[in-house]
Amino acid sequence: MNLYEHTIIARQDTSPSEIKQLTDKYSKIVEKNEGEIVKTENWGLINLSYLIKKNKKGSYIHFKIKGKGNVIDELEKNEAIDKKLLRYLTVRVKKFDLETNYFAKKEGEEKYDKKESYKN
Amino acid sequence: MPKRQSGNKKNKQSNFAKLSIFQPNKYKFKKSCPLSIKGAPPVDYKNIRLLKKYMSENGKILPSRITNVSQKKQRELSLSIKRARNLALL
Repeated sequence: MNLYEHTIIARQDTSPSEIKQLTDKYSKIVEKNEGEIVKTENWGLINLSYLIKKNKKGSYIHFKIKGKGNVIDELEKNEAIDKKLLRYLTVRVKKFDLETNYFAKKEGEEKYDKKESYKN
Repeated sequence: MPKRQSGNKKNKQSNFAKLSIFQPNKYKFKKSCPLSIKGAPPVDYKNIRLLKKYMSENGKILPSRITNVSQKKQRELSLSIKRARNLALL
């Protein structure tokens, strides 16, 4: 069993309900292949740093998956076809960092960073 | 560690100053790696704020001879910067 971090970017014009559908769809694929989703994070709409298929923004969904390699194969096979998605990225990690969410809410993030800089 | 205290931009300037050809005091320029110290944040492709510190304004990766990052951490940095680029975060 391996640990994976999986991120997908959906188009900017997907509605919140559609994003939920997407997360459900891919969580089901993971469960079908005997994988386990440890955590899902919704990072919300983020400005892309460059245009992807004429999109300026994208909504990011982040999964932390525990499973075998065939889970990722199946996921990426489906995501490559999906027209609602712009990109996907899978990274194998040795350990999950479940505490810090770098894309939580903007206000909270700023406060957190200020505190950090004081410490340094 | 004192250099990290100053803000992001100031840090960069001081690093570029190091490029001056005339280095009067060699010992002054020896600095430890800012990412290997105890309590340093882990290098991660999601931590954009950290990654941006080690990139030029044009989005290029800064060489380790300027930033004083150790070889091991520089490899991690460049990998995670490339991952972040793929996700259009940088």
